[in-house]
Amino acid sequence: MAPSQTTYSPSMEKLVKSLKGQTLEASIESFIYLLKRRQVKGDDCADATAHILRQVVAKSKWSDVDQLLSRVQTVGSRLAKAAPHEPIIGNIVRRVMGLIRDEASEDRNADDFGSEAASDIQSLATAIAPPSHSGPPQRPGPVPFRPPPLTSVASFHIAKPKSMFNLLSVVETAESTITAASTPLSQAAPTSIHALRSEVLDGIEEIMDEISQADDQIAGFADIQIFPGDYVLAYLPSRTVERFLVKAAAKRKFTVFLVSLENPNTTTGEAPYAALRKKLSSSGVKTISIASNGLMAYMARINKVVFSARVVYQNGGLLVDSGASVAAQAAKAHSKPVIALGGVYKFCPEDPSDEIAGEAGDSSTYVSYAEGLKLDSLEVENTVADYVPPELVDVYLTNLGPQTRHHLAAIMADHYKPEDVGFSFLSNE
Amino acid sequence: MSSKQGGRGGPAGPKPKKPARAGAEEKREDTLQAVVLADSFQDRFKPFTLEKPRCLLPLAGVPIIEYTLEFLAHNGVQQVFIYCGAHSEEIETYIHESTRWSPRSAVSPFSSLEFVRVSDANSVGDFLRDLDKRSLIEGDFILVHGDLVANIQLDEALAKHRARREANRDACMTMVLRSIGDQPHRAKDSRVITPVFAVEQGGRCWQYEEIHPLMKERKIVWDPSVVELPDWEIRADLVDCGIDICTPEVLALWSESFDYELPRKNFLHGVLKDHELNGKMIYTEILESGYAARANSLPMYNCISRDTLGRWTFPFVPDNNLVHGQTFKRIREGSCLEDNVVIARGAKVTNSVIGKNSKVDEGASISSSVIGRRCKIGKNVKIEGSYIWDDTIIGDDSTVIKAVLANYTVIGQGCKIPEGSLISFGVTIGDKIQLPPDPIPRISLLAYDKTPAATDASLVGEGGKGALFTEEQDEEEGSEDGDPGSLEKTLFYNLENLNLSSHSISTLASQADYESDVDDSFGSFDADENSRAARNRLSSFASDDSGLSPDAFHGDAVHGLLDALRAVDNGDFDSAKLEFMGLRLANNASDSSMRRAIAVAFARRAAELMSPEYGGLEPTKAAEKTFNAKKGAVKFIREVGVGSNETNLQAEFTLALQKALLGVKGLEVGRAGTLLAAMLQQLYNLEVLEEEGILSWWGDARAVENEGLAKLKEKCRILVEWLENADEEESDGDDDDEEEEEEEEEDSD
Repeated sequence: MAPSQTTYSPSMEKLVKSLKGQTLEASIESFIYLLKRRQVKGDDCADATAHILRQVVAKSKWSDVDQLLSRVQTVGSRLAKAAPHEPIIGNIVRRVMGLIRDEASEDRNADDFGSEAASDIQSLATAIAPPSHSGPPQRPGPVPFRPPPLTSVASFHIAKPKSMFNLLSVVETAESTITAASTPLSQAAPTSIHALRSEVLDGIEEIMDEISQADDQIAGFADIQIFPGDYVLAYLPSRTVERFLVKAAAKRKFTVFLVSLENPNTTTGEAPYAALRKKLSSSGVKTISIASNGLMAYMARINKVVFSARVVYQNGGLLVDSGASVAAQAAKAHSKPVIALGGVYKFCPEDPSDEIAGEAGDSSTYVSYAEGLKLDSLEVENTVADYVPPELVDVYLTNLGPQTRHHLAAIMADHYKPEDVGFSFLSNE
Repeated sequence: MSSKQGGRGGPAGPKPKKPARAGAEEKREDTLQAVVLADSFQDRFKPFTLEKPRCLLPLAGVPIIEYTLEFLAHNGVQQVFIYCGAHSEEIETYIHESTRWSPRSAVSPFSSLEFVRVSDANSVGDFLRDLDKRSLIEGDFILVHGDLVANIQLDEALAKHRARREANRDACMTMVLRSIGDQPHRAKDSRVITPVFAVEQGGRCWQYEEIHPLMKERKIVWDPSVVELPDWEIRADLVDCGIDICTPEVLALWSESFDYELPRKNFLHGVLKDHELNGKMIYTEILESGYAARANSLPMYNCISRDTLGRWTFPFVPDNNLVHGQTFKRIREGSCLEDNVVIARGAKVTNSVIGKNSKVDEGASISSSVIGRRCKIGKNVKIEGSYIWDDTIIGDDSTVIKAVLANYTVIGQGCKIPEGSLISFGVTIGDKIQLPPDPIPRISLLAYDKTPAATDASLVGEGGKGALFTEEQDEEEGSEDGDPGSLEKTLFYNLENLNLSSHSISTLASQADYESDVDDSFGSFDADENSRAARNRLSSFASDDSGLSPDAFHGDAVHGLLDALRAVDNGDFDSAKLEFMGLRLANNASDSSMRRAIAVAFARRAAELMSPEYGGLEPTKAAEKTFNAKKGAVKFIREVGVGSNETNLQAEFTLALQKALLGVKGLEVGRAGTLLAAMLQQLYNLEVLEEEGILSWWGDARAVENEGLAKLKEKCRILVEWLENADEEESDGDDDDEEEEEEEEEDSD
């Protein structure tokens, strides 16, 4: 009997593997508890949420779009409530809801024009649809490319021709779209439901692809952002930042200051980010480790500061790992540019809230439980998330390329439906 | 078997209970099983546990068992067996009604959760022996107690355990322990009994001992085999959170030793002691990070609650809302509030947890406390470091400091609840009552036997309900070392009153003392070389002629014998004798401690027979019944207690009996003396003691060491005179008596 390497602790990978054999409710519940026990956190939440919503669409019973939307919304708000510290969950739920609305309106359009006259339009629509499935990853927001017939149904613009002209027009308002449309859909019964389901599932797959590719795409812009001879300060490099630096190292020679937390409890004795440093030094990039509280002293020497955002709020503010805000302020004081990395899926159409930024974590990160005297005399407050105000961020490097604050609103509008934006998942029903 | 089985719902349907043999091996690798011991057979949480099992008491607003089960889910456990003792109905109802844990629930993280009921269990040992019989366990399993709060990840420990087990089949158990450093620590102060482990480099545990502040001789004698190890440590800085990763062989070991009751004190100590016989190895996994502790006593309950508020148990903190229906949110100053909590303007809440629909009135100040749901806190109330459970009302201007108030208690206006108070379910305290701080108020509606207690109006005031809770008078607990349990029954135990320092156990003896002591015990021990490895938090290498662990032995032995003497059914004393000898060997008890144990056991039994509950026999009758009721008891005393016909040994036994009678609780000295005389006469008649022995005792200076002993002895004068007369009659004019006595006296010294 060979020594088994199985680990028992639950993880998202295990959950994803077992999704098929589980009831939907069990999957949701398992995911909620993974979130609560912090066995899924940070960027992984986005992918995990997409997986769960995919199950919701695939497994739950629904007979029309309203039902599907309300299912997704209920599950979404359950997830968001379970983990108010991860606003990224809300992003994905909104994306999926937007997706459903799009697909539904497309279908409905097809029904409305169920006559032969509409068949050419239908073929036009389907002709447009395929490229969006396997579309260029740089434009992973296939949503805005869809014909915007939502408005046409809701606002008596049925006659409005489906042409290439209004393909690119911005979806303005569509408050009552779905509620107004429930009757025709219920008649549209099985085939279209089936089609809608598979379309939505495909759409969710695309979102998942987008999430998984975002890091690589961001890294693709590395050589534009980092120049030879630069001194780059990477604050608590996340997976995204690591890829970014490694990619840059392939083309450029520069120096990286790795800022890590001073953690008294690291028992391994291994220097933080050892793997990253190895990779960087193998391509000839020097790395210097500094403690988070000493970064101010190095700021004068540094050319740019890089860290990844957990979430980008609509005002341009960032939710970041705690301490990054200090780095950003230090950079501001020295007039150094700050580059925030984060895929478009991290764009959150909400306003920042104090509650989330003040999320408190495990006290033992800074004070070991073994230190009895400190335990009694100190009150340890470990805020794990930080808010960076928009004026401290110079460049938002997304998978769609570098952006400035002024473009964020446009990107948000591209990716979220206005009716979903206003909805807060955290409020009580 | 009255267990309930539930599978995860849905299309898969409930799994067959016993997988096919072929699948068993595979299953062994895949499913992790855990056993939860939801009853620990202790009464440290009384009076609360009279009405509610310990694992359902709320800790930071959540029943303790939720933490335990969540910990198991956190570690990917699939199958759970819960052993319940007292209040098993309540625990089962709780689990079945829980949306998360109910075996019928589709969302349960466990593939199965079963209750196992054992009707006649009296100890944790009985549970585990029962588990062995049921063969529910297929591979390695995790054994935890139902009062565990932990956030650690066991993967590493499991992997190490498995690797060791595969390298050597005898590596049967891994204990997960959390190191808490050598600084003073609240968890250290709270645990009362300090577990001491001798750990070899690599984690193998060689010896286990327990120390508590009430022990007379706080020292540990290490086994020579331990001392000879090349590289070992003495660890007294560990929190024993009771998480054991076990192979099924552990259960077999439990079954082999029918008398083990406690997993640590008996089982671990015993198995390690006999490692040469059973060949088993037990390992420790000492964690330097993470949180793990058992709320197994009120001080620990207090400690864990504070750790939860301080977020050391993260992610198991109130604002993570682990239990369905909770809506805690964290607000400024470290407090967590649930929905619909009303805090009036001017009230101050710091570092506290307040449950749903509670109301805090103007001017109240609450700090470092947990307040349950639907509580009403009046105006200008001051609450500090207290645990107030659901539906409690506290009147205006009252003060509650470091107390526990259970559900539905009502505190009137202007009351003062002093430190350490335990107010049980439904107690009402009238207006303007200042509870006396001494004795520490434990107020309950029920007496120890669960009958309603008569309200003590002088204590709880007019309109109040409840009376001071007192322990059952337990005559058995007369052990000279005191009962550490008594310390654990209060929220904050204070050793100052006892004139002891909690730190004295960790003072380091000077190097010189240390070496000389060691040299006494083990001549070959090279202190300098080996002590470098040892964390000398204990200065306990003193040699002790009374045996290795006299205290453990004494308690167990006296219990065993008393049980045998009391037993109504079987008239056979041989099994008791066998058990006694086994204990003696296990503990390597000396002759003197054996004698003491036997004397104490018989003395207590005799005293017991004189007490009204047992018929209130006359001393002579009692003595006669004590010795003659059981076949073999006399033989046992003759062979084991006395040992031989030598006069000095007989005198020693008489002395031991005398001291034992003096030590019996609730027996006045006069009656004790009469009883002693009766017992001696009985033993004389039974030819266990000869007149030489008794007379030798009569002349012994130690028999009059103190006033009590002298009084006892005085009562025997008639007997001795009678013996002397008989003697004279028998051997007329034998003058050697005096001389003999002198000699024997010297011998026996």
